[in-house]
Amino acid sequence: MNVKEKLQEIFRDLFDDETIELFDEMTADDIEDWDSLAHINLIADIERSFGVRFSTKEVTATKNVGEFIRVIESKLG
Amino acid sequence: MNEYSFNELTVGMECEFSHSFSIEQLEIFSKLSGDNNPLHTDIEFAKAHGYESCVVFGMLTASLLSTLGGVYLPGKNCLIQGVDISFSRPVYPMDEILVKGKIVEIFESVGQVVIRVDMYNQKKEKVLRGKMKVGMING
Repeated sequence: MNVKEKLQEIFRDLFDDETIELFDEMTADDIEDWDSLAHINLIADIERSFGVRFSTKEVTATKNVGEFIRVIESKLG
Repeated sequence: MNEYSFNELTVGMECEFSHSFSIEQLEIFSKLSGDNNPLHTDIEFAKAHGYESCVVFGMLTASLLSTLGGVYLPGKNCLIQGVDISFSRPVYPMDEILVKGKIVEIFESVGQVVIRVDMYNQKKEKVLRGKMKVGMING
């Protein structure tokens, strides 16, 4: 399972929506329940699932799903 | 009331306290919530259905998570963001409920702490288990 597939599972679990299909340009505007609190839980779930840690700066600078994937991939080496 | 800041919290920190609910408090909760199911306020009804006494509302027992976060860990700066709980056994009026909390994860990037919660009755039987996600009002 690659990073995008694993991230998609995280999104589907968090938002209880098995129909979510991630795309690079996807933002909070594309998922109704992706509010500020969901964003906190999303980051925590990503950190837990991938075994990585973000900085606060990375969290605020990451604007869409594609950027998340690239940041995760860079941390996984 | 404790007043931990986010930076003072560490994985493994624990706290515990005890609490019990009276039948009168169940009646008050019934009025507050509108849940007038007799299982919680009618002893004869509860006994007829196999329970020792009135059963404390699960959500009233769960309210002790609010106390855990808001008073003990982290205390005054607590902002509960979510809870995920299971009720293991019925709680009865005047059961001495021991509430135990332990920090199991900290996510500094988003200022979130995850607290494992377990509650036991006076027989040391687990009555509730779960996790609570907590942020800080000054975070």
